Amino acid sequence: MSSETVRGRLTDGELSPQRVAGLVAAVLLAGLVLWGFAFPETQAGRFVAILTDRSTLAATLRLSVPIAFAALGGIFAEKSGVINIGLEGLLIVSAFGGVYMADVTGSVWMGLAAGIVASTLLALLFAVVCIEFRADQIIAGLAIWLIALGLAPFASQVVYGGPNTASVDTVDAIVIPGLSSIPFFGALFSATPFVYLMFGAVAASWWTLNRTSFGRWVNASGENPKALDTAGVNVTRVRYAAVLLSGVLCGFGGAALSLSIGQFVGSGSTMVNGKGFIAIVTYLFGNYNPVGALLSTMLFAGLDALQLTLQARDVFAVPQPLVRTIPYVTVIIVLALFGRTRIPKAAGEHYESGDE
Amino acid sequence: MSTAVTLDGITKRFPGVVANDDVTLEVERGTVHALLGENGAGKTTLMNVLYGLYEPTAGQVYVDGEPREFDSPRDAIDAGVGMIHQHFMLVDPMTVAENITLGNEPRKWGGLAVDRDAAREQVRELSERYGFDVDPDADVEDVSVGVQQRVEILKALYRGADVLILDEPTAVLTPQEVEELLAVLEELTAQGKTIIFITHKLGEAMHAADDITVLRDGKNVGSVKADTTTREELAELMVGREVLMETDKPPAEPGAVSLAVDGLRATDERGVEVVSDVSFDVREGEVFGIAGVDGNGQAELIEAVTGLRQPESGTVSFGGTDVTDWSRRRRIDEGMAYIPEDRQERGLVMEFDLVDNAILGSQHTAPFARGGRIDWDATREHAERIVAEYDVRPPNADATSGSLSGGNQQKFIVGREFERDPELVVATHPTRGVDIGSTEFIHDRLLDLRNEGRAVLLVSSKLDEVQGLSDRLAVMYEGEVMDVVDPEAVTEEELGLLMAGEYPEGYGPESEAGDAGCVATDGEPNEATQPASNDGSEGGTR
Repeated sequence: MSSETVRGRLTDGELSPQRVAGLVAAVLLAGLVLWGFAFPETQAGRFVAILTDRSTLAATLRLSVPIAFAALGGIFAEKSGVINIGLEGLLIVSAFGGVYMADVTGSVWMGLAAGIVASTLLALLFAVVCIEFRADQIIAGLAIWLIALGLAPFASQVVYGGPNTASVDTVDAIVIPGLSSIPFFGALFSATPFVYLMFGAVAASWWTLNRTSFGRWVNASGENPKALDTAGVNVTRVRYAAVLLSGVLCGFGGAALSLSIGQFVGSGSTMVNGKGFIAIVTYLFGNYNPVGALLSTMLFAGLDALQLTLQARDVFAVPQPLVRTIPYVTVIIVLALFGRTRIPKAAGEHYESGDE
Repeated sequence: MSTAVTLDGITKRFPGVVANDDVTLEVERGTVHALLGENGAGKTTLMNVLYGLYEPTAGQVYVDGEPREFDSPRDAIDAGVGMIHQHFMLVDPMTVAENITLGNEPRKWGGLAVDRDAAREQVRELSERYGFDVDPDADVEDVSVGVQQRVEILKALYRGADVLILDEPTAVLTPQEVEELLAVLEELTAQGKTIIFITHKLGEAMHAADDITVLRDGKNVGSVKADTTTREELAELMVGREVLMETDKPPAEPGAVSLAVDGLRATDERGVEVVSDVSFDVREGEVFGIAGVDGNGQAELIEAVTGLRQPESGTVSFGGTDVTDWSRRRRIDEGMAYIPEDRQERGLVMEFDLVDNAILGSQHTAPFARGGRIDWDATREHAERIVAEYDVRPPNADATSGSLSGGNQQKFIVGREFERDPELVVATHPTRGVDIGSTEFIHDRLLDLRNEGRAVLLVSSKLDEVQGLSDRLAVMYEGEVMDVVDPEAVTEEELGLLMAGEYPEGYGPESEAGDAGCVATDGEPNEATQPASNDGSEGGTR
């Protein structure tokens, strides 16, 4: 007698407009690349040359580091139910903190540690405001960004007399003999320790989220905190841990950013320049999977590296401001075509044990 | 047999409400104990106390004869008490095994990883031991509600529960799933587990339980053995026999049909049919009552009548016009007033003051609105008039409705609805949770309206109320109108039987048409109801 509810689902083979558009784009890109290989003297040829240049991969990896770390941090926080859009701010304070401590102690590693501490402290503030005082997570996240945006250049002004800090030593690349001379992919084996740390962090994050008890709890805390609570796990504690972890990861990212250049640039939107916000896009695009987030980060960073080279070599004779928009435009298109993200059900909601 | 759980004198007070009042209860090990009562009787609160979600204001919980203080569900779980809530506590994207082991995952490699093979194996073993049929690797969001419920039960068993509390376990299940659940409960008790289940369906309690405790208004009004009790006894315990009101009311003078419901079917949020082919009509100058244990489709029926729920089929006519597709607003404008069941949810905006609340539903009509603007002077005057005439205390139109007591909130709603000058008043549980004085006041006003020649549709689960006020009384059971009876002639035993879904002698589905038809064709109510009253007395002397 009861009316049956049938859930309609897209079957896998179905051709949705998105899939058609994606397919067309892939075919066009493949055509361009093939054309370039076939005729190296054409514009397409020069484009392919840049694409397959080893320095492009090296730049991609370098640009990926801060975004990937921030994305990992964002994944932990949001999976636990706390949307952390203050990632940008966490990157900024750790970028400054890292350079300052490296300047004071003369050690890059002390700088990295200081960056992590600075970012974690700011994340703690965010956690207290959101979890303890039940503030709106989006507003609190924006506040974290604005605080950092004001605080770091100000500190630089106080210490160094300007928004940019003094220069500090950077770390050398770790070169693996033999492997590093492979064409193109050799860039993977001749990179800064931060790049290797990034790969390690992605693997560790994946393991933590998918294989450990803590990962299960983080997941449950963002999906159905009440279920976790009644299972006898303290939701508040899990959320604090996840947000603090996002601070630690952003600390790696921010410090790596400034320490691989050797200076903190505090003018304008600082040297972080939106990387924290891009990180949010990449982890959403990666559907909260650390590996997916890394891949989408590298897509973005790769496009960024590409546009830098295109600007430098002036391949297409297009105004530079337009070239600079390539990564952003592409990310938007890719998101529109393939974005299928499952947002944790309880993300953004407060949870208080004992609420009925 | 030993006692698994003892609740001794449990009292739980919330600000302004006593949810449990000195409840004492013993549950034998290895039995199924039903906690029966209407919505709001305090069943869930009592079980939340046992499960450590609430701390009792007074009283003591004993598990296996040991006095226990539970600060959190964790403590209750450690003592072997598990609870399956009405709303499942499951994490949708996780698998069955992940959900069951959540918070107690078996680990390996020094805690660095969850031992997923062990988890799967343990769940499979547990599932087989109790004859459950669940796949540990299925995603919880893909399995049926019945399986999800078994996952919840397994979750409790996995944590070592000996006492399982199930909150309205059948509310979300299909009839077949209910049978499967009952088989599961049997298997569990056979293996020494103790089950307490909360229900408001008395048939289910009698069918599935060994012992039944009935709660009413937060009090234990009786613990009985399922095999020695009767449905009537349970229905009476649930609904209660308060002092029958002696309301002086002149005989009804029914006029034209105001509201006609014909062949109405409606489903609830889950798509299950809860109103099945209901037909009746309400005439001007009469109170038409609907009695029944809560949850037998009355709420959905009233929502369909008032325009809050789209019926699946059938028609609702008002003043001779088919209004089935009319909006709520249009129904209000045409003179259908509604006193809702849940005053805090639907009757008032708790954060608003009484002035704002006074024009809810008439915010778009003169004299309160003119050219898109609200005339606040007229509104305030209106609010103050309601406050004065309906004796709302404190007499302050600027007070937020949330600051008023339940009885005064209700008086204010009654005032607002009556001041609309309605043709028809639909009143659902108009005196629930209201003190005696306000109850009498509301009853008097309802009768005044009827005496003025307006139509009143009254739904209540209080027998004395529907019996005392109604001129004709329909009894609903599982979405159907069992019968329409003469409230003066019918006995409480007969009403109890009808409410439990059984026909007393002399009543039957065919008499429904007879009674309703008599009144419809004959203007003289005394004569018209004569046959029904004869039937009633015969039934009573059986």
